Order: sequence, then C-alpha cells, then structure tokens
Amino acid sequence: MAYMLNPGAQSEPNIEVHKYYGGAIVLVCFLALVLQAFLHKFGHWAELVDLPLLVTVYFGVSRRNPTSGLLLGAAVGILQDGLSHDNPIGLFGIAKTLVGYLASSVGARIDTENPAIRIALIFVFFHFHQIVLATTERVLLDRSAPYFTFPLLLNSLATAAFGVAFFALLDRLRRTP
Amino acid sequence: MVETVISRHRSFALLAGVVLAQLLLLAFQIKRDHDVRLIRYWAAAVVTPFERGGTWSLGRVGGIWSGYVALRGAKAENVRLRSQLAELQLRNRQLESQAAEAQRLSVLLNFRESHPEAPMLAAQVIGASADPASHTLVLNRGEHDRVRRNMPVITPEGIVGKVVEVFPTTSQVLLISDRDSGVGALLADTRTHGVVKGNGDPVPRLDYVVNDEKVHVGEMVVTSGEDRIFPKGLLVGTVSGATDGQPFQVIRIEPSAHLDRLEDVIILLSQQELAAKKGQESADASASSPNPSGVVQTDALSASQNQNAAPTTSTKPAASAPVAKASVQSQLVKAPSPKALPAPAPASEAPQN
Repeated sequence: MAYMLNPGAQSEPNIEVHKYYGGAIVLVCFLALVLQAFLHKFGHWAELVDLPLLVTVYFGVSRRNPTSGLLLGAAVGILQDGLSHDNPIGLFGIAKTLVGYLASSVGARIDTENPAIRIALIFVFFHFHQIVLATTERVLLDRSAPYFTFPLLLNSLATAAFGVAFFALLDRLRRTP
Repeated sequence: MVETVISRHRSFALLAGVVLAQLLLLAFQIKRDHDVRLIRYWAAAVVTPFERGGTWSLGRVGGIWSGYVALRGAKAENVRLRSQLAELQLRNRQLESQAAEAQRLSVLLNFRESHPEAPMLAAQVIGASADPASHTLVLNRGEHDRVRRNMPVITPEGIVGKVVEVFPTTSQVLLISDRDSGVGALLADTRTHGVVKGNGDPVPRLDYVVNDEKVHVGEMVVTSGEDRIFPKGLLVGTVSGATDGQPFQVIRIEPSAHLDRLEDVIILLSQQELAAKKGQESADASASSPNPSGVVQTDALSASQNQNAAPTTSTKPAASAPVAKASVQSQLVKAPSPKALPAPAPASEAPQN
C-alpha cells in the first residue's frame, strides 16, 4: 500500500513512460464516451463493454503518472455521469478517479504490455470499479446496487477480452521516440 | 514540515481532494427525506457534535461556577439565614401567643359587654400554689384594684373559685376543686340543692343530694346563691356521673371552666346576679357552644322545672372577629367608682349540712 501513496519515489526506472500525439488522449476519451452512448441505442449488447473504463485503465497504466491518471479518470467519469439520464454528477467520477489513480500506480511498477497481464488488469479494475460504484450508490443514493453478479462476471470477461484488442489499437497512437 | 509531507504525497492528496470534491458534488445533488439535500445532512452532522459539545462544556462550566465558585458566600449567608430564621420563629411564637391572648380577652370582653350592670374586673393568672394538694391561683389584681376577700372569680365558661387572700397588687384564689372549697349549687333540671365540694381531684363532687333524687349525666349544675359569694345562676359544670352512696349520692361534676389551664379570669366585684340579655334568647338557643356568658337564664330554669325540659341558656357566642388587645384590656379593666363598689361580702363558707 505504501508504494501506492508515493509511486514516483519507488517506480521502476526501466519501465518506459509512453507519449501520445497531441490531442489523442482527449479525442479517444471523447470518442469512447460518444460510442458508449451511441451504441447503447442499438441494444443491450453494448452494455457488455465499458469503453470509458477501458480508456481510463489504458491511459493510466501507459502514462504511469498517478496525477494525470486520476484527473483523466475524474474527467471521464464526470462526463459519463453527465451523459446518463438519472445519475448524479460524481457517481462514475469517483469510481473512475480511483481506477485511474490505481492504474497509474500499478503501471509504474509492472510491465503492462503483456496481453495476459492486460486481461487480468482489466478484469480486476472492472470489479474494483463496480465495487466503488455500488458502495457509492448504497451509501449516498440509498440504492441496492450489487457488488458482484453473474452478468457482471460475463461483462467483466467480455470487457477484458475486448480490452486486449482495444489496447492494441490504442498502442498505435503512441508517439515513437 | 507540512509542505514536505504534502509534496511527498502530492498525488495522493490530489486524489483525496478530487474524490472529496466529487463527494460534495454528489451530496449537493442528492436529496433525502423531506427534500433536504444530503450536504445539509452532512453539514448538520459535522456541526452538531461541536455545538453539542460546546453546550455541554458551557453547562459544565456554568454548573461549576454556580455550584462552587458562586457559593463562596454561602456559609456566611447560611449563618445569617439561620439567625434570621431563629428570630422569625421567636417572633412567630410571640405573635401566636398574642393572638391567643387576644382571643381570650375577646371572650372576656364579650362576657363583660353581656353584663354591663355587674361590676367586674379582668385579671391574669400569674401563678399557682406550690403545694400540689392545694388548688389555688395567684392573680395580678390586688387591694389596689379594689379586690376583696370572698369575691367570686369566674370565666365566661363557668365559675373558678373565690378570692381567699388579698395582697396590695395580687390576690390568691381558691379553686372549686380544692378540698377546702364549697359552693352552694343546684341541679338545673330538678332544682335539687347541694354543695359542690372539692376533694383535691380535678373533678369536684355535688354533695348532700339524697339517693331518691334522679340525677342525669350531663345535667347542668348552677350556683344557688346560698353561699352569699357566687351570684345565683352561674354555671358550675355538668354531671359526669352519679352513684348511690351513704347517706347521699356521689355525684361527680365536670367543671365548665378549664381549671387546669386558666390564663385570664373575671373577678366579680359584687354579688349582683348576672342576667342574660333577653334579646339573645332566640338567636342563642340553637347555638351549640357551651354557654359563653356563663349564666343560666333564671326564667328558663323555672320553665324547665315546670316542663321537665332542658334549660335554655344564654349563649351569646364569643366574638370571632379579632379584637385589639389594648382595646379589650382597657374596657375590661374599667372598674366602678368607689361609691358604686358594693361592700365586701361576709366571709361565710358554703352551707354545710
């Protein structure tokens, strides 16, 4: 836990910090939000994949900077709340802020280029995101949100499988040194 | 130091700040019961403990102040209040005593006003005999007040005794319960004559009544005037018991006057018979109080003798309204002029059979 509180001081010196083309991060995040809202019109199958969560995790582990990771997660989450019709602003924002921070902290210590590790990271962050979301809804909104269900398990697996391919696509946006 | 900690944990502090900002944003949007925003609940939850603690602290401080610090002068005040209480208790007892005395004097005044034709003198009991076997009293009136030997001493309730010794400023009274006392008396119903004699007990006897006479318990006994000391018709007491004896009945008399707790009495300065006021007959006939005037109406006695009915007594009730003590005493002490004073009655004892 200590390394999460001070990741910069204990980061691995041999892990590369990736750079991206200007505006790429903003554009990807914007497209992820638009697609998430747009595809939702075509059926519930779109709910299987959480695109804003994937971009938050990807840029968090790639940039390996907790500050930018949590700010990116907060921005994506607040925009996602803004696009929803009944969620108060901050519900997804808190969850994705924590995900962005943890993803950046983890990405500073392990190599996240391995597809298996990426699947595991997406799977774990999906459920962490759900736990934070459910806790917030239970405590603040007095809703009975589930922490874990079988459909959520399927969603997490689908998101992880899709995320491996999505991350590979996003790797092409990296600026070569 | 603080800046160092913040810089080392800058990202974590930023995380906490961002999450907290979003929590506040959520709380501002969410409404709970009664349409109250959640942030208000939180604000109240944060502020209320401090307010409660402040109130509790102020209460404790106030309690300490009022319970300890402010009680510095309590001991002195307690002493002062105790002294004041003692003074007030003493003053209260004095007032109670004066009120009781005023009540007694009021009764005497009422009696005096009921018999304006008879010269009388109020006196206070200032002592008693040191001999337990002798039933005598010492009054605060004496020769200077024109008191003479054998003057009758009464109360509004009934006769008390007679003056046996006269000193310049005091006099001695022999109670009717003394063994040397004898009062000419008669039973009010049967008009049977006898002599009320003391025997040293609080209850005197009516002697010289033959066994054939029917004597009823509760029957009144009045003076007959035969002893030439007590005017005729004064109430002596009531029959408390009667048994046959040899050669006469043993009749016990319950004195109407409270001989054991006398404080104020009346000295009759003459043997003039006390007459009840005619106007009081009808109004006083139904009164249940025991004959405050102390005089049994002669006409009623005659009627009761003829009709064997209970005698009607003149019962002008004692004034219930408080009378000023000074006024009462000034009227009671009013003595007749020397010319009006009758000659002292001869020192004759009660008739003895």
